[in-house]
Amino acid sequence: MKRMKTIVSLVLALTLVFCLAACGSKKADEPAAEGGDKKTFTVGFDAEFPPYGYKDDSGEYVGFDLDLAQAVCDYYGWELVKQPINWDSKDMELNSGTIDCIWNGFTMTGRESEYTWTDPYIDNSQVIVVRADAGITDFAGLAGKVVDVQADSSALAALTDEESPENLALAASFKQLQQVGDYNTAFLDLESQAVDAIAMDVGVANYEIASRGDGYVILEQELSTEQYAVGFKLGNTELRDQVQKALYDLIADGTVGKILDKWADQVSADSFCMGK
Amino acid sequence: MSFLTIMSQLGSGFLTTLLIFCLTLVFSLPLGLLVCFGRMSKFTPLRLVVKFLISILRGTPLMLQLLVVYFGPYYVARLPLSGSWRFWAVVIGFSVNYAAYFAEIYRAGIEGIPAGQHEAARVLGYTRRQTFLKIVFPQMVKRVMPPVTNEVITLVKDTSLAYAVSYIEMFTIAKQIAAAQTTIMPLFAAGIFYYVFNFVVAWGMERIEKALAYYQ
Repeated sequence: MKRMKTIVSLVLALTLVFCLAACGSKKADEPAAEGGDKKTFTVGFDAEFPPYGYKDDSGEYVGFDLDLAQAVCDYYGWELVKQPINWDSKDMELNSGTIDCIWNGFTMTGRESEYTWTDPYIDNSQVIVVRADAGITDFAGLAGKVVDVQADSSALAALTDEESPENLALAASFKQLQQVGDYNTAFLDLESQAVDAIAMDVGVANYEIASRGDGYVILEQELSTEQYAVGFKLGNTELRDQVQKALYDLIADGTVGKILDKWADQVSADSFCMGK
Repeated sequence: MSFLTIMSQLGSGFLTTLLIFCLTLVFSLPLGLLVCFGRMSKFTPLRLVVKFLISILRGTPLMLQLLVVYFGPYYVARLPLSGSWRFWAVVIGFSVNYAAYFAEIYRAGIEGIPAGQHEAARVLGYTRRQTFLKIVFPQMVKRVMPPVTNEVITLVKDTSLAYAVSYIEMFTIAKQIAAAQTTIMPLFAAGIFYYVFNFVVAWGMERIEKALAYYQ
């Protein structure tokens, strides 16, 4: 009986120590969300979407869009809070006020009436990636092939767009349009020849190919073109106007140019369309 | 990125996983006993209500329950959500869900005590409270250890569901690293963390089980 008591109390003590240790370290690396006199600006982003928002080698959240958000915060003296969100619940996060905006390669095209948007800042397109040795050079070569696409993505929206008969016909020519959860799965499928092509965002495609090396090519034909903008809760024009004003001023004073230079390998300066 | 950096980043995420795990156990183990009393109550309305709640908690996905706990206050009562609510919603969601399972495990343990023991206790002059505390409860604890171990191990893995409400725990971090590094290796590294931790949990529970087997 005594031995049991010793063991039980030992386990309890260990649990407590673990909890305290966890609490302690939590406070250390989490930015103080409340308190302080600085206004906070909480950006919701999908941390699995390089180069717009992702986790870098040192474990920090970085990305082209997060740098822009940081510049806007510096402009107003706000404190930036980077809140990684589950992309599936982005609307609930935005509506309940846990984030101020969605700023993460967020496609405005087709969602114009669902959010309050800034002017678009990136011209983006949806493209098809194939294996370099597969001998597929255009959309006609995709007939009878299996194509991966990320669930709930713009590429999927483009391929199932009722108003684009060409894309519908293209999707119909595939053997199968396979929905996957993330791009690692898609590229694993492509590499292992389980599928023949991936329909995806050009920015992400460039990042993936740069990181995975040769062996993949992007077809020249584009599925669709679209624009990225910063999305706010419908009706939140006050904050939208502030952010938009800051962005235009930052373009004028060259700050945005510097950020574009920093991300030149991943985000082409030509695609930046705001203020042009 | 080297394997070591991946492990160290996962390690910091593991602390958040551990925090959910510990707090869930601290709250759900006692709460489960309360629910169990309700479920076994002689007062029929209470018993039926508790039975209904347990069936909801066991019959709907934990992910959905987390979403309801987290977003519920805003959508039902229009209360603004604060930054720390994310964490507490996760702890509450997990604790309530696991309490439902623990309650049924406890019930099995309590109902498994032969009626003869209750009768013997009454003959010896024990009150109902004494019978429960000195005779039934100690035996129940011993009997429920194996199924409780099952649940505890499942809890370690279920912590990854916290991602439904964007609480960043270890598996989410593994997915983020996987996306940035364009490799699925971090997911396997996370698997190692889960396995090692569960190994320790199983070992600890086995030790407790042995320590409790003082009549064998």
